[in-house]
Amino acid sequence: MIEFARSSIGKKVLVALAGLFLCLFLVTHLAGNLFLLVGENAFNHYAEALEKNPLLIVAEFGLAALFLIHILVSLQVKYEDRRARPIGYLQQKSKGGSSWGSRTMIFSGLLLLVFLVVHIKTFKFGDAGEGLFRLVVTAFQNKFYVAFYVLAMSALGLHLSHGFQSAFQTLGVEHPGYTPWIKKAGCFFSALIAGGFALLPLWAYFNLGGH
Amino acid sequence: MSATIHLTLKVWRQKNASSEGRWVLYEAKNISTDMSFLEMLDAVNERLVLKGEDPIAFDHDCREGICGMCSLVINGQAHGPQKAATTCQIYMRDFKDGATVTVEPFRARAFPVLKDLVVDRSAFDRVMAAGGYISVNTGSAVEANTILIPKDKAEAAMDAAACIGCGACVAACPNASAMLFVSAKISHFALLPQGLPERERRVLAMRKAMDAEGFGNCSNEAECEAVCPKEIKLNHIARLNREFLRASILKK
Ligand code: HEM
Ligand code: FES
Repeated sequence: MIEFARSSIGKKVLVALAGLFLCLFLVTHLAGNLFLLVGENAFNHYAEALEKNPLLIVAEFGLAALFLIHILVSLQVKYEDRRARPIGYLQQKSKGGSSWGSRTMIFSGLLLLVFLVVHIKTFKFGDAGEGLFRLVVTAFQNKFYVAFYVLAMSALGLHLSHGFQSAFQTLGVEHPGYTPWIKKAGCFFSALIAGGFALLPLWAYFNLGGH
Repeated sequence: MSATIHLTLKVWRQKNASSEGRWVLYEAKNISTDMSFLEMLDAVNERLVLKGEDPIAFDHDCREGICGMCSLVINGQAHGPQKAATTCQIYMRDFKDGATVTVEPFRARAFPVLKDLVVDRSAFDRVMAAGGYISVNTGSAVEANTILIPKDKAEAAMDAAACIGCGACVAACPNASAMLFVSAKISHFALLPQGLPERERRVLAMRKAMDAEGFGNCSNEAECEAVCPKEIKLNHIARLNREFLRASILKK
């Protein structure tokens, strides 16, 4: 088990599994957030129901563990990748394999990490005295916050445009029949998730703003 | 239509494994576009020898794309601008008159430079020695039809066996990973009945040897597939991952 987790392939399997579970989390998170569009009562109601559920704390620890595994192992993987080529090329030109998303995984990932810290600080540990809805909508009146949020969600889309299908390849889930569909699903999923999350601050800024 | 072109070469020169290298510019004048890239280097070297200078060292052997000996990263691309070709199969008609062409060695910690453009690829040999074989008793060959192999399996195994071990996959990989090479070798055995007795042992041992050589990890970017002169496909890497997962679970 330890040998597996230390092996090159084993580490990637951990990153991929954690990444795919995080994708599942994103789906539930986005679905919940869409209550924002329904209205203040509906959203606050949803938030309260979640907070009352004793299982929430379990889910939160699970989520934190997924993030920790994904981030720590992927950073270790990238560190090793750097070390594997101590002297770089003067010139390097793609022959067409990699994509924009695949080349920027570490940068989109690091931006997501910064986003994660800001995001948790604002919404998890922010002052929700007037209800979570107010907290969220007020935060989204700041145009810099909205811009940062949308930028981070673009990074998420980019991260998943490669990450989703890459995770299946890492897990050995590959077949001439369905791999093309996994790739299509990855494009669709990344666009849907990034677009969905980015929609909320834009909607709050342009629709609910008193500016 | 043959023509002559003049090029400027920007070549990595390094005296030996422990010395520091540097970039040196060479004029390659009156180069026929019918020449291969290696013949062009030969021509440049002949002129260097006449001037009493040390010729540029580079690897080559068959010069017909089958031995896997030639290497080089030309203008940032392993095995030069063509797809499905080795450096020895690159022709000067692919280069524009007056252009500057950079010629670099394959770069990876596991492939140290020995001299100029020559790198030590014996890391691949050590990975092969760890498990890239089947154990059989010597003696007269068995009847060919004793073990039946479905045609599609045989073909898929042959596709993997087309790997000539040149190392371009490592050179082109942003992480200097050897996964395409190792996966081709794993596939080639995993698809055939003869490979099955040592199936788990092989993949565990070859993975271990691969990591010990200091190659990077696979991030599924497919640059390896794009430069492979033998068009080894990325699905072999998925099979390697699968084989490794399976063997790790079954391991006693
Ligand atoms: C909700 C957030 C995230 C999701 C859903 C996610 C998902 C994924 C997925 C599915 C992969 C593909 C795994 C594979 O190639 O097998 C991946 C790779 C990666 N992730 Fe994330 N990720 C997230 C956040 C982060 C963060 C915060 C970092 C910060 C460092 C990060 C860094 C990386 C890196 C560096 C890789 C590439 C690893 C490699 O292939 O070498 N990710 N991610
Ligand atoms: S010299 Fe043999 S493959 Fe190029």
